[in-house]
Amino acid sequence: MSSTKVAGPVQARPSPVPPAPEAPPKRNRSSFAARWRRDRVLLLMTAPAALLLLVFHYIPTLGNIVAFKDYDQWSGSTAVEAIVNSPWIGFTNFAELFEDSQFWDALRNTLAITTFQLVFFFPLPIALAILLNSVVSRRLRSFIQTVVYLPHFFSWVLVVTFFVQMLGGAGLLAQTLRDNGVQPWDVMTDPDTFIVLVSTESLWKDVGWGTIVFLAALTAIDQSLYEAAASDGANRWRRLWHVTLPGLRPVVILLLILQLGNSLSVGFEQFILQRDAVGRQAAEVLDTYVYYLGLVTQDYGVGAAAGLFKAAIGLVLILIANKLAHRFGEQGVFVKS
Amino acid sequence: MSPLTKSRRPERPSWEEPPTLIGQLIKGTVLSAVVLAVLIPMWSVLVTSVSSKKAIADAGGMVFMPRDFDISAYVLIFTRGEVSGAVWRSMLVTLAGTALSLGCTVLAAYGLSRPGSLWHRPLLLFFLITFLVGPGLIPSYLLVTSLGLKDSHWALILPAAVNAFNLVVVRQFFMGIPAELLDSARIDGAGEWAILGRIVLPLSKAVVAVVGLFYAVGYWNMYFNAVLYLNNADDHVAQQVLQAYILAGQSPAGIGSPPALGFSAPPSLAVKMAVVVVVLIPIVIVYPFIQRHFTKGVIAGAIKG
Amino acid sequence: MDHPLPGTANRRSFLTLVGLGAVAAASGGALAGCTEKAADTGTAAEVDKLTAVLPKFKPLDLVQPDIKGISPVANGFTKYPANLVDAITDKPGRGSTITTMTPYWGTVPAGPGQNAYVDAINAELGAVVTPGIQDGNTYADKLNTIMGARDIPDVLCIPSWEIPKIPNFSEAAKALFEDLTDHLSGDKALPYAMLANLPTVAWSNAVWNQRLMGVPWPTDGPYPWALFYRKDLTDAIGASVPKTADELYAFGKAVTNADKGVWAFNDIQAMVEMIFRVPGAKEGWRSKDGKVTFKLETEEFKAALEFLVKVFKDGLVHPEIIATKGADAKLLFNGGKIVMVQDGVGAWLGVQAEQQKVTPGFNMQPVPFFAADGGKPLVHGSGDPIFYTFIKKGLGKDKTEEILRVLNFLAAPLGTKEFELIEYGVEGKHFAKGADGWPAGNDLLGKEKADQFRFLAGTAPTIKFDARVPTYVNDLINWENASVQHIEVDPWRGIKLEMPASYVKVKQPTEDKIKDIIRGRRPLSDLDVVLKEWRDGGGEDGRAFMAKALSDAGR
Repeated sequence: MSSTKVAGPVQARPSPVPPAPEAPPKRNRSSFAARWRRDRVLLLMTAPAALLLLVFHYIPTLGNIVAFKDYDQWSGSTAVEAIVNSPWIGFTNFAELFEDSQFWDALRNTLAITTFQLVFFFPLPIALAILLNSVVSRRLRSFIQTVVYLPHFFSWVLVVTFFVQMLGGAGLLAQTLRDNGVQPWDVMTDPDTFIVLVSTESLWKDVGWGTIVFLAALTAIDQSLYEAAASDGANRWRRLWHVTLPGLRPVVILLLILQLGNSLSVGFEQFILQRDAVGRQAAEVLDTYVYYLGLVTQDYGVGAAAGLFKAAIGLVLILIANKLAHRFGEQGVFVKS
Repeated sequence: MSPLTKSRRPERPSWEEPPTLIGQLIKGTVLSAVVLAVLIPMWSVLVTSVSSKKAIADAGGMVFMPRDFDISAYVLIFTRGEVSGAVWRSMLVTLAGTALSLGCTVLAAYGLSRPGSLWHRPLLLFFLITFLVGPGLIPSYLLVTSLGLKDSHWALILPAAVNAFNLVVVRQFFMGIPAELLDSARIDGAGEWAILGRIVLPLSKAVVAVVGLFYAVGYWNMYFNAVLYLNNADDHVAQQVLQAYILAGQSPAGIGSPPALGFSAPPSLAVKMAVVVVVLIPIVIVYPFIQRHFTKGVIAGAIKG
Repeated sequence: MDHPLPGTANRRSFLTLVGLGAVAAASGGALAGCTEKAADTGTAAEVDKLTAVLPKFKPLDLVQPDIKGISPVANGFTKYPANLVDAITDKPGRGSTITTMTPYWGTVPAGPGQNAYVDAINAELGAVVTPGIQDGNTYADKLNTIMGARDIPDVLCIPSWEIPKIPNFSEAAKALFEDLTDHLSGDKALPYAMLANLPTVAWSNAVWNQRLMGVPWPTDGPYPWALFYRKDLTDAIGASVPKTADELYAFGKAVTNADKGVWAFNDIQAMVEMIFRVPGAKEGWRSKDGKVTFKLETEEFKAALEFLVKVFKDGLVHPEIIATKGADAKLLFNGGKIVMVQDGVGAWLGVQAEQQKVTPGFNMQPVPFFAADGGKPLVHGSGDPIFYTFIKKGLGKDKTEEILRVLNFLAAPLGTKEFELIEYGVEGKHFAKGADGWPAGNDLLGKEKADQFRFLAGTAPTIKFDARVPTYVNDLINWENASVQHIEVDPWRGIKLEMPASYVKVKQPTEDKIKDIIRGRRPLSDLDVVLKEWRDGGGEDGRAFMAKALSDAGR
């Protein structure tokens, strides 16, 4: 990518320091002592966060080994003993998932929704952020920003209620149509358009919230680049294309990659609420499937297996996306080293 | 950047061409539509929270047209002592938690922001994995109680103190800071702490503010961990107390309930909406302070200066 | 675009976070659907041979009820007894600290030392009961966590609808709770006179692993559901109360007026099934002429399904109810947007008392139970308890007995000083007697009482007078009494069933498919397909299991 001319600062750039310290890995390894001396401060800085996660995240995460066990939580006299005492069963819990056709239905729905939202709705917070950023009056901008981020704090019950009261069969739209003698179409109960409905609901709830990171990223773009571009005769669209978007790119790609890692989680409560309205065929996603499965089989093992499956898929997606990003000359999450 | 220079900065940069009428129109329409799409429901939340039961019953739910003004929902929430104490505790948890979280996150993000540094990749993976797989309820509970944190507000803070997503985002911004700046500081003999404190942080106010907001909102909204770990009414935080107003008198319907579970009156929709409003208030107050850090051109200024 | 945040809730806790609570309520339907747990092959605890473990029933007739309920209907009291009995003269406690956990749906009051109500009761008890009051909507999550972590209080109240959500409950009970058989079986219960006054049908449900594991909180109403209608509205338009399925449909047609925003019903599936005499015992099993059938296989169900399809297709159900589980049927009913609502009987008093203040003339009445063809109705109902109280295992004989004496104190019936204290607090401080003679609680009582003692032990079933709706006691008990004779006989009564895993697993998908038919997403003719999938998927295992449970019990 020839972005050297009008590169934003938050952008992929060549190594920060001349090649000498960035020597090939082989040499690095041989000079471990030197690297230790150079980087120990950095490691010290990383330590508190790492320790907190190690204790409060990794230690209890060990409990997930019940995914590979026939877990009987009432065996033994303590909870830990119960886990230890339960017999290993390998991948039986995973097999139980994979052999269930409903699991695949739920997975298909989840992937469809996630893809739809990534393609059609992921770009919208970026667009809104750019639009907001172009509002000149600071007061007006601040007002709009505050307003659009509020729905993030509404519960799903409330969000769905709003949609029902606007678009549902007894909602404002339907009653207006009825008053004019038109039989309304109930968008809230149509399984065929459900994917659009849930995505729109998510968009309404979180588009403003989603702009926040991009607004911050916009502030990090070197303003002199705009001035330079303008004096080169670039109009506002060309500046958007050559300055703003390249400036946002690293953050956009980072969030896209992280989003991919989460792509098997598309929501839960939203789908439970509307499940009866459109039926299981349309509304069953992985998380609701696992919830119902857990409720009936009451087996933490299967639930843990499902969680590990999601994590594994997420990790694979993140690594692939990261590879792709590198191929296109982006940083991604990891930097090529 | 001092307030003085800020206010003197022209609203529209001189190099920018004047807006076209049609462009302004389209922009105005889109933004108005977006704002209205939020404001109308928001309005109905507000109106419903100050509506009488009669007005709510007549509307069959959310009220749009103010009629029958009635602030008894707010009176109910604020006349009993629990709310103020709980809000106070929630603010302390949020402040302490956000400070701890930001500290750890910023340090780790900086510690990992130098490609090729020692153990940089495995450490990043260590953090990223927490983003993908999480602990179950029971193991977390066992850990927290065995550390003696039951009935302590630290039980809300420590398990949530570091979020890998936030960490990676901050790191991304740090990595975007022009290398020349850091290098010249290093040549001047500045250590890592000095570079972080004097160069990186001042240039990253926006992202630090944003991530601080993410953390603060997380702490402020924390509910289930409070339910798990805080058993005494004296320790309850805002979400617990406010949820209770929503639940008041509610019987577990959906299960055909016998008379004994009828309890008293179900909570009115006004109370529920008043709770929504009360929870939003600090969030509305705080956000403009965050936005203050969304100042354009920090980096350009830094390089030139 | 959904940024994960610190403290993002565990998925399992979703119900806690809904914000409006209504979902928890509404989805309870689905959750309540699963009242059995999966065991690989299924086990049935059989009660007939086990009457030996139950306490001997010894009624205490302290006060004659003003209106007598036919068991399992509760007795009604319209007059407050003039002279209260001091039923328990010895202090039950020995000064121990006793920790408890009870659910509550409302604001949590302060604990001992800062709560005059709690302190007054503790003083009478001679013990320091330290109530742990938990949010009722997240109770199952909290229970599963503390039980899984083996970190439970001395006394634990578990609502009956939460028990199926705890994996393998009978094993959990064995691991965590004190076996009360040796304390309470037969004549051993007699020293606990108030507990011995609780109905045997309630006790018989408190048996796990053929041992008496808990103290039941007897139900005060046998019917889970009722149809309520707005009498003030139907009188105004001259609609009469339906007595057959056709009349119910005609009623729906007559009162629905979409242009005005009025619909006839909320989701009335449970009541329609009952009206069409679909079996309801143990979630829909029937044993007739030596044949065990599930409701889906019956002609009655087919007829009910046809009716429901028509009701939904013709738009008689409020669209909000159809569109989201978060919709609030009570609110729509209060506002006259829904004219007839299926709700728990428990909703009656609260809704009537509050809404009549808002809507003059508001009159909510239950539809007397009827059958589709106008003949003898089949009424679903049972005497199963509402809560169970368990005592932590290993506290030792002395403390266990102390706790049992405390529970005995709390179970004192109406007409005793103990009852008045638990129910209304201290006279002059928490309540004053009204003109009708009944104690009326003041704000302090409302602030300090959160049923932290009441939910530990129930009394013999009682319906108390309520000054806000003076006719309530008579109306309720007359309505309930009228249908006692029609209560469906449960062939598996008293048998604790832990259904085979395959059967439990096929249930939710089947319910989803039935919903698809009702809502018109699949044709009615698909019922045969659904039925076949159910049979092959685990339904047959369920049938074999249910049949075996019956024959094992010698029924």
